Amino acid sequence: MRLKARKFDTFYLSLFFVALYLPVLSVILYSFNASPSTAQWTGFTFDWYRMLFRDRVIVEAFKVSMEVALITSVLSAILGTASAVISMWVTDRMKSAIQGMMILPLLIPEVALGIALLIFFNALRLPFGHLTLVLSHSLFCVPYVYIMVQLRLKEIDRSILESARDLGATTWQTVRTVILPLVIPSIITASLLALAMSLDDVIISTYMSGPKTTTLPVHIFSMMRVGVTPKVNALCTLILVGMFIVVGLSQLFNKKQHKEDL
Amino acid sequence: MQTFKRNILAVPILVWIGLLVGIPLVFVFVLSFLSRDSLGNIIVQFTLENYQRVVDPIYLRVFLNSLLLALLTALVTLVIGYPVAYITANLEPKKRAFSIGLIMLPFWISSLLRTYGWMILLGNAGIINNVLLAIGVIDRPVPMMYKFSTTLIGTAYMLVPFMIVAIFNSVDKLDRSLLEASYDLGASKRQTFFNITLPLTIPGIAGGFTLVFIPALGLFYVSDLLGGGNTIFLGNLINTQVTRGRNRPLAAAFSIAMIIVALLVISLYSKVAKDDREGLFQ
Repeated sequence: MRLKARKFDTFYLSLFFVALYLPVLSVILYSFNASPSTAQWTGFTFDWYRMLFRDRVIVEAFKVSMEVALITSVLSAILGTASAVISMWVTDRMKSAIQGMMILPLLIPEVALGIALLIFFNALRLPFGHLTLVLSHSLFCVPYVYIMVQLRLKEIDRSILESARDLGATTWQTVRTVILPLVIPSIITASLLALAMSLDDVIISTYMSGPKTTTLPVHIFSMMRVGVTPKVNALCTLILVGMFIVVGLSQLFNKKQHKEDL
Repeated sequence: MQTFKRNILAVPILVWIGLLVGIPLVFVFVLSFLSRDSLGNIIVQFTLENYQRVVDPIYLRVFLNSLLLALLTALVTLVIGYPVAYITANLEPKKRAFSIGLIMLPFWISSLLRTYGWMILLGNAGIINNVLLAIGVIDRPVPMMYKFSTTLIGTAYMLVPFMIVAIFNSVDKLDRSLLEASYDLGASKRQTFFNITLPLTIPGIAGGFTLVFIPALGLFYVSDLLGGGNTIFLGNLINTQVTRGRNRPLAAAFSIAMIIVALLVISLYSKVAKDDREGLFQ
């Protein structure tokens, strides 16, 4: 009887994972299909990938997305870490104020936040483009860095901080020589996540893009609206590969750190 | 004085987010009471017309569509996700880590790609129809795209990892000795599940519900690509009013309505999970 139940568990879980990854695998598979339609498989080709690199608009959009994502992740790493570290010293009331503020952007539906920022930046007459994209992306990236760094800070033994102080270290010295080295792996993982989220954002970017600065997801969305073409498959597959390299790197870094901890 | 000095460092952070979230929200709120001329330019003149249109039957329909979609998405992800979370939490350590990895991985995969995958699977010339045609189950393609249910599949697929993670954390924290006590007292597996496991994981369910419901209100690209605009949802309506309709005051009024729904769900969540110290928002 127990064995039967366990078999069912494995079956259910496997079925779920098949459903979870089937759409993703289909996209990858059909990026190599020679026929432009998914109706039949006519042979293996790299043509769709070649077409991508000749498409000036896609290359431009890719550049914009990368620039925005890199600046956003660095900015979020700094602001998120600073907020988490500062939270260790402020009064409890201030701490909950910071927490509330950090969660606020995550609670508002993205469309509403996008519209709000559009109206605000419009009123300020800010030029839509890199600046507005970075500012808006940092809104949903900083909180994640803050949360992840804060979780790590909670694990740090308070006595280490006290001994640092007893040994005559100033607050700034404690932060620099004790706290930061301990949280660096979390900062790196969190900023890679920020990078991924910025590269993936469709909704807010739709409103923040300028006339000549469209991000890649916004452009891909407009391509998808026209319908299924293998060129989109190829583009999505490339992004997937790029993203997995980033995840792989962050995992590698985490493992190394874990070994050092031991 | 000492506390003042300690707190002063936090002020720039509060100002920074306050400036980028608080003030824009005030702008939207004000804008939702303003009028516009025929060209779409905003006129500073107080009106309640935008809100009257929110409750206008045509637009109310859109509102209800969105609520229904978000609610069904939350239910579908709960029914599918709960067993996944429960089974994963009870796996042996190695398998467990692998399963968690597979659940989390989609967070790193482009959400457009994941939506697009369903277009390839469900289209008339799509993979599912091809397979069914090839094995002779059907003799002409079954239309599966551009329906309410297609959008539901898309949003549920997109958000199910959030539900699983929330429930998993809850199941994982469960005190195993309670389950053992229940078995020792002669309760069956089913009784133990419904009397102990389920009630104790309610905070996780509520958290997952919140994490799924709110984004489901506004994922306009999913309903655009999979629903094809056959059913109009709030996200699509707001999006078209801003990008093409040039009626920003109306879009603002709908955004405010959407935020109010989100806040209601959140306050409901905090009521359910108020005893749960390690809740969603710590």
